[in-house]
Amino acid sequence: MTELKNLVKSLLEEGKVTKVIGYRMYGENNTKPYIAVTPNDAEEMVLNTDCRNNLSVYLTKKEIINGGKTGIVAKGCDIRNIIALIQENRIKEEDILIISAECKGVGAEKGSAVYANKCVNCSVKTPHLYHELVEMKGSELSQPKDKYTEAKEKVLAMNSGERFEYFSNMFSECIKCYACRQACPMCYCEQCIADMSIPRWIESSATDRGNLSWNMIRAFHLSGRCTGCNECERACPAEIPLSFINKLMYDTAKEEFNYESGMNKETPTLIGSYNTKDNDNFIQ
Amino acid sequence: MEEKRITKENLIKLGSNWVNDGMNVYVNNGKKYTLMKLHEEDLKGFEEAPPLMSYKEIVFPKTEPILYYKKSQKEVEIIEPKIGGVKNIVIGAKPCDAKSISIMSKVFNWDYKDSFFNVRAEESVIIGMACKYNDEHCFCTSVGISPVSTDGSDLFLIPLANDNFGVRIISDKGKELISKYESYFTNGDSEESENVLSSIPIPEKKFNAENVKSWLDKNFESEFWNTTAEMCLGCSQCAFVCPVCHCFDIVDEDYSFTEGRRMKNWDACQNGLFTKHASGHNPRDKQPKRYRQRVSHKFKYYKDKFDEYLCTGCGRCSRGCPAGIDIGEIVERIDKLTN
Repeated sequence: MTELKNLVKSLLEEGKVTKVIGYRMYGENNTKPYIAVTPNDAEEMVLNTDCRNNLSVYLTKKEIINGGKTGIVAKGCDIRNIIALIQENRIKEEDILIISAECKGVGAEKGSAVYANKCVNCSVKTPHLYHELVEMKGSELSQPKDKYTEAKEKVLAMNSGERFEYFSNMFSECIKCYACRQACPMCYCEQCIADMSIPRWIESSATDRGNLSWNMIRAFHLSGRCTGCNECERACPAEIPLSFINKLMYDTAKEEFNYESGMNKETPTLIGSYNTKDNDNFIQ
Repeated sequence: MEEKRITKENLIKLGSNWVNDGMNVYVNNGKKYTLMKLHEEDLKGFEEAPPLMSYKEIVFPKTEPILYYKKSQKEVEIIEPKIGGVKNIVIGAKPCDAKSISIMSKVFNWDYKDSFFNVRAEESVIIGMACKYNDEHCFCTSVGISPVSTDGSDLFLIPLANDNFGVRIISDKGKELISKYESYFTNGDSEESENVLSSIPIPEKKFNAENVKSWLDKNFESEFWNTTAEMCLGCSQCAFVCPVCHCFDIVDEDYSFTEGRRMKNWDACQNGLFTKHASGHNPRDKQPKRYRQRVSHKFKYYKDKFDEYLCTGCGRCSRGCPAGIDIGEIVERIDKLTN
């Protein structure tokens, strides 16, 4: 198997890509996003269990992907977002070159001995769309506690009023910085509904009402699209457990429509397709 | 300087008394400046990192109405909101946070005297605490603050052995706050406090802020900006967690056709919409220009205008950045460019 650095170096030398979006070390147990443009830049490239970022978000930034084929280092979960972006016609497969690896999972945070929540029950540790394969480095991690299942059961047992209150409370800490949106590979709208002012659909104030409408609408817009990379939650400075509602919607898409975003580039999107056999038991 | 001593237990009791007196009491619990409600919150923070969010909300809330309006076909009635009326107390403020109100006060009192800020600032009492935390993102000493500086504090806590605290009385406001509660305190031993303070390592400066400013004076158009924060996602968490970032947006919210309110909401220069004109033109149309604004505002414009750096070196923005951008590291690189 090729060494990541050598691979990136030769890809850049041979002009197969104009740049490679990857990771470099950031302190001892952390990495950060990085773009290699010259063959020398490849020296800093790493792929290990501290590579928490989902770099596919950069594929939605024109100023980064414009100007030739882009290489990207992606774990299986990140590939799901790349596929979802292909499914939604945001990027073309021929414009990118995916460098992936058999994934060992990533640590929950800097120096953590347990997996990030997104790694629990991961079905894409073996990458499902790639052009080059390398080795992922890093130590073995252990399973985190499953907090999700219990919380899900609790919420599903609530009546609508109780749920409304539950989510209102959860989102009341929101400060409306929109870091969740900016870190999300699937939040690529040129004009977000939250930024529209004529008419203003969502109150921009970080009041309980404004916070609930923003976070609920974002969850709706990601239903059947979110792949569960949890970058929104990682970026959130108010520590709101955003992955919870996203995962609830993810589960619903899977249970009701047997659909999982970002698994197959040929599959039509959930929202963009219609099947007469679709479940309609929720229409009352 | 007058010094007293208090046990941690009594300090928390004192906080509970203030809560009972109707004050908002925030305690640094090591992770958060948490609003004291249950009267059993713990005070930590001497050895912990600055809490994820600063407490600037006590003087500059994330959202607040600045006026209410009622309109008819003939006239518009303006109703002023009530500001303040509740004392805010912060127990265990980091020295890098304690300085924030005095720094922001300059911009909120520059031409227009902002009563929203001023009334709250006047009603706030900051109980600072010495700090023993230092990581790769901290750089308070580079911007004129230190882990033992009392600047901006009204009272200052020095953690002593056996859960005791030395309490230095810095301002009249601080003195008045505890005057009703003399019985909670015993006499201070300034020698013991001094020993603790001198045992706290003062981190070396990471950069020379004056050099950085003089480079910024001349390099608005430098290529440096294009490759500095290219991975920035424009997520703005840096500005929202910052103890001194103070930009806001004004927006009207109608409740109905005849009534509404005008809100003042936190905003941030890393957001593309921040400088977008009604015409569609955006003078800061790309992320590098926005990042240049962030660094320049902190280390040049504010210094030019108010003779103060708009940064306390707390390192929050870097610790929380999802793209791993470290302002300390970037400014350090600028400093090296001047050598």
